[in-house]
Amino acid sequence: MMTLLYKEIRLCAHPASVVFAFLGCLVLVPAYPYSVIFLFGCLAPYITFVNARETNDPWFTATLPVTKRESVRAKCLLTVSLQLFQLLFSLPFALLRGALGIPDNPVGIDAAPAWYGFGLMIYAVFDLVFLSSFYKSGYRAGRAFVMASVPLLLGMAAVESAAHIPALAWLDGGEHWRKQLPVLLAGAVCYAALLPPACRIAERRYEKVDL
Amino acid sequence: MEPLLRIEDVSKRYPGFFLDRVSFSLAPGRVMGLIGKNGAGKSTTLKATLNMISPESGRVTMFGRDFFRHEKECRQRVGVVFGGTDFYPLKRLGAITAVTRRFYAQWDEEQYRAYLRRFSLEEGRKFKELSNGMKVKYLLALALSHHAELLILDEPTSGLDPVSREELLHLFRRIVRRENCAILFSTHITSDLDRCADDITYIRDGRVLQSADRESFLRSFDHLKTPGDTGPLTLEEIMLRTERSEWDDDAAL
Repeated sequence: MMTLLYKEIRLCAHPASVVFAFLGCLVLVPAYPYSVIFLFGCLAPYITFVNARETNDPWFTATLPVTKRESVRAKCLLTVSLQLFQLLFSLPFALLRGALGIPDNPVGIDAAPAWYGFGLMIYAVFDLVFLSSFYKSGYRAGRAFVMASVPLLLGMAAVESAAHIPALAWLDGGEHWRKQLPVLLAGAVCYAALLPPACRIAERRYEKVDL
Repeated sequence: MEPLLRIEDVSKRYPGFFLDRVSFSLAPGRVMGLIGKNGAGKSTTLKATLNMISPESGRVTMFGRDFFRHEKECRQRVGVVFGGTDFYPLKRLGAITAVTRRFYAQWDEEQYRAYLRRFSLEEGRKFKELSNGMKVKYLLALALSHHAELLILDEPTSGLDPVSREELLHLFRRIVRRENCAILFSTHITSDLDRCADDITYIRDGRVLQSADRESFLRSFDHLKTPGDTGPLTLEEIMLRTERSEWDDDAAL
């Protein structure tokens, strides 16, 4: 599987996807709607899937000693790698922000544990819809992205709105980090629980696709 | 001799097209040409053989094993080339090779370098910068560098000039002789088969019309001869007369 992941990174991953994965550093910007970072984390696999389609990657992969299921698993693994790398890459910048004494984000939610938890939830739902929808045909990336964008945008709006609701103020700001830990845990559980079925559905659907 | 590849009753239905119980086999050390006009089912047959499309029924035996059950093991011993398809056009050949070599336990770097020199290919060039002939040669170099025992080539000569075609066909003969492998290639250019095929399988409207060694194949179409034909029919004449009978039937309606 690591050989396939290497192939995905070396031949399929669009350069813009890699740039998007590094945009976790945007949490250092003093005033910015940080949930937009999740949009970049969802655009990264979309652009890579389009790039793979346009460069005849499915055909090339079909000439290699791998099964269709493995080729799907590799794409799922690439998606997870891009998204988790993005969140992990943002961590030192979020900590640096605190160390530099930059005031709380006046625009929306802060990059605190709750934000990471919501991010994982949003990614989990996006991946479930996007991957299972894309592999119905194996080439309709735009349609899959539009469908998966609905929960993505609703999630982003909900997360940003939460920061402005007084009753939910504990979700915002690093000072409530202890209270936010269950949200982070829920996000991790959600991501770990939804990705395997998303991948399995995608594999099952791609088995039936005729190249 | 046990065939390297045996295809039995492979069927696939599409709207407006039916690949109808295709069967044939390929022995080691042979070159088989799969002919038929455009849309006859040549590529569909090759794709069904490689599980790129799911056949509705049928069985593919490769190296004596059920291909669908032992797909990964069988694929290690197969080289596949799709003519006319641009893979990763902006990537350099070196990058594509660096990825490909990791998939094969039998990868032979020395052999790969030898093929690069023989085909005058430079790893620093991008795939899109290659001519059609060079693209096929590069893909062949990849396929041959892991000691493939069976080469499956879909329209490798289409779109090539006569000189490049001749060179490739000559290469096929050499590969079979030197590497002791077998080649199955599809084409609609009958002169390709005159030059290098030991066996011919003719697909018409999704059905195998005939599959035999070249001599038997040519003899089996003697019924198409007219009183004016003194010698044996050429492959082109066989194909034209077979397909023409369909047009004549249409004209009669």
